[in-house]
Amino acid sequence: METSAVTKRRWVHPVDLALSVAILSACAYVYYLTANFEEMSPLFVDNLPPQWFPRLLLWVIAFLALLMPFEHAVRVARGGSGMDGERKNTVKPIAYITVATMLVIVSVSQLLGTFLTLLAACLVLPPLWGERRWRLVAAFGIGFPIVVALLFSQVFKIYFQPGIFGLSFH
Amino acid sequence: MEAVWEGLGLAFELKNIALIIMGVLIGVIVGALPGLSSPLAIALLLPFTITLEPVSAICMMAALYCAGTFGGSITAILINAPGAPPAVATAFDGYPMAKRGEAGRALGIAAFSSVIGGLLSLVVFIIATPMLAKVALSFRPQEYFALTIFALSMLASISGDSSLRNLIAGGVGVLLSTVGTHLSTGIERFTFGFYELSEGIEFVPVLIGLFAISELLVQSQAADKALERIKSVVVQLPSMADVRRVFGTVLRSSGIGTFIGILPAEGSTVAAILGYNEAKRWSKTPEKFGTGIPEGIAGPEAANNAATGGAMVPTLALGIPGSGTTALILAALITHGFRPGPYLIKETPEFVYAIFGAMAIANIAFLVIGLGGAKIFARITLIPRTFLWPMVFGFSMIGAYSLSASFFDVWVMLIAGVLGFIMRRHGFGAAPLVMGLILGRMVEETLSQSMTVYDNQWWRLFESPIVCGFFALTALSLSWPVLSAWRARRAKRKAIEAS
Repeated sequence: METSAVTKRRWVHPVDLALSVAILSACAYVYYLTANFEEMSPLFVDNLPPQWFPRLLLWVIAFLALLMPFEHAVRVARGGSGMDGERKNTVKPIAYITVATMLVIVSVSQLLGTFLTLLAACLVLPPLWGERRWRLVAAFGIGFPIVVALLFSQVFKIYFQPGIFGLSFH
Repeated sequence: MEAVWEGLGLAFELKNIALIIMGVLIGVIVGALPGLSSPLAIALLLPFTITLEPVSAICMMAALYCAGTFGGSITAILINAPGAPPAVATAFDGYPMAKRGEAGRALGIAAFSSVIGGLLSLVVFIIATPMLAKVALSFRPQEYFALTIFALSMLASISGDSSLRNLIAGGVGVLLSTVGTHLSTGIERFTFGFYELSEGIEFVPVLIGLFAISELLVQSQAADKALERIKSVVVQLPSMADVRRVFGTVLRSSGIGTFIGILPAEGSTVAAILGYNEAKRWSKTPEKFGTGIPEGIAGPEAANNAATGGAMVPTLALGIPGSGTTALILAALITHGFRPGPYLIKETPEFVYAIFGAMAIANIAFLVIGLGGAKIFARITLIPRTFLWPMVFGFSMIGAYSLSASFFDVWVMLIAGVLGFIMRRHGFGAAPLVMGLILGRMVEETLSQSMTVYDNQWWRLFESPIVCGFFALTALSLSWPVLSAWRARRAKRKAIEAS
C-alpha cells in the first residue's frame, strides 16, 4: 500500500493524529461538563468532589491520546507491523448501510412497538445483505420474530410495547 | 465442608444440570461459529437469565464459558477456521492432521486435553479461591484501590496488540462508569437529563453492543464469504499411545493455562499461545510442529481450557476479572445482585462451590457432547450468514430491550456497537473498555474511601506495604511492553553478532 509506505517515513500517523485530536476534543468537552456539575453541599466537604475523579481520568486519557500519533512509527521502527492492520481495508458500503438501517429501525421502534420492530429488522436485514431466496427470507422474517416474541412475552414475561398497531402479546 | 456439599447439591439439581447442558450446547455451537464467541454469547444470554435464579444463571454461563473455549477447536481442526481466538493455535497442527485424514484423532486429542486442562484448573480454583478471598478480606480500601489499579494496568496486554490503545479504552470504560449519581454527594454526573442514566450506564446493552453489534458490522462486509464443506468425520477418543505421548504436554500446559488465567485480565488466548510455544520448546522434535502432531493440539487446548478455571479465581475471590469473558460473568453477578469479591465466599460459599460443580459437569458434558456432535457442530458453520447475523441482531435488540422494557437501552446498545466497530478498526479492544466499565465504580469508591481515611493526603497511600507492592506490579505491567520489545531487540542483535 502506498499510504503505509508514506506513513513508515513519518513520525506522525495522519489517521492516528485525527483520532488523537478527536479524543482530545472529547476530553475537553467532558472536562467542560464537569465544570457544570451542581454545587456540592457543605455537609460533604470532607469527601472528594464529584468532578475530581472524572477529571483525573480525563488527564490520563488525554496524556495517552497525545502519544497515539507516534505509536505507528515507533512500532514500524522496531520492526513491528504498525497500526494499519485492520485499517488497510476500506469499510465496505454495506457496513454503513447496515448501521443506517439499524438506526432507522430503532428510531421507529416507539411507533411500531416491540414486535413489529423485530419483524422489520428480520425482514429487511437478510435481503440487504444479499439474500435473494425470498421464501426463506419470508419464513425467517416472520417465523423468527414470532418465536422470539412468544418466548420473551410468555416465558420471560417481558412487556412488549404495543406501538400504533396495538400488538402487545399479552 | 457443609458449604461444599450444599454448593455441589445446587449444581447437581436437575434443573441446573439441564441449564448447564444447555449452556454447554450453546457454548460449543457459538464456539464453533466463526465470529461468534463466548463473550458475545454470554452478553446475549445475560438478559435471558435475569428471570432465572442467580445460581442457575451463573452455572449456565460458567458452563458456556468452558464449552465455548473448546467449541472453537472443532472448526479450527476441521476447516482451519478457529471459531474463537483461543483456538487459533489449535489450528496450527489440528488442520494439517485433518487434511491427512486424521480429523477424528485430532478432535479426540483436543477434547481429552481440554477436559484434563479444565478439570486440573478446577482443582486449583477450589483450593485457591477461598485462600485468596481470605487474604483479600484483610484488604482495606487503599489496598483494594491499588489492586484494581494493578488489574487495570494489566489491560495493557489483553485483546488487540496495542497496549496504549487498550489503556485508553480501559480509561474510557472507567470514565463511563462515572455516569450517574455520585455515591458520596448524590450529585448527578453526565446524565444529560435522561433519568435512565441516573443509576449509571447499564452493563448489558453496552456489552451486547460492543461484542455482538460490532461483530455484526464486521460480518456484514463478508456476508457472501463461503465456508468450506465438511467431509465426513469419525471422532475417536485418543489411544493409550496418544495419551502417553501428550500427557506431559497436557500437564505442563494445564499449569501454564491456570497461572495465566489467574493473572488479572489475561485470558485463554494468551494461555493457548503460551501453551503451544512451551509444547514446542519442550519437544524433542520442534521442527515437526505445524505439520500436524498431537502435542501441537494438546498444548494449546489444555492451556486455553485450564485458563477458564484459573480466570474464575480472581473473579470470585477479588471481584477482579481474570479474562474478557469473566468480566462478563462478573457483570452478570452484579446484575443478579451479588457483590463479587471476598465477601461473596464469606457470606455465600455454597454459591462458589456450585459454580465449581457446574464447571466440572460442563467439562464432562462437552467431552460427550463435543465428541458425539462434532460433525453436526461443524456443519453449523454452513448456516448462511445472511440469516445468522440478522438473528443475532434480533436477539441483541430484544435482549437489550428486555432489561427494563425500554428502547433507551436499545439505543445504548446501538451506540456501543458502532463505537465498538470504530474502536476495533483503529486497534482499541472491547474487553478493556468492558473491564474499565465494570471496575470503574470500585476504583472510584475505594479511592474516595482511602482519601477520607488519609485526610485527602494521597501520599499516605504508600504507608501500606501491600499498596506499594501492587503499585510496583502496576509499574512493571505498564512497562512490560517496552521491556519485552527491548529484550527482543537485544536478543536479535546478539544473534546477528554471533552469526
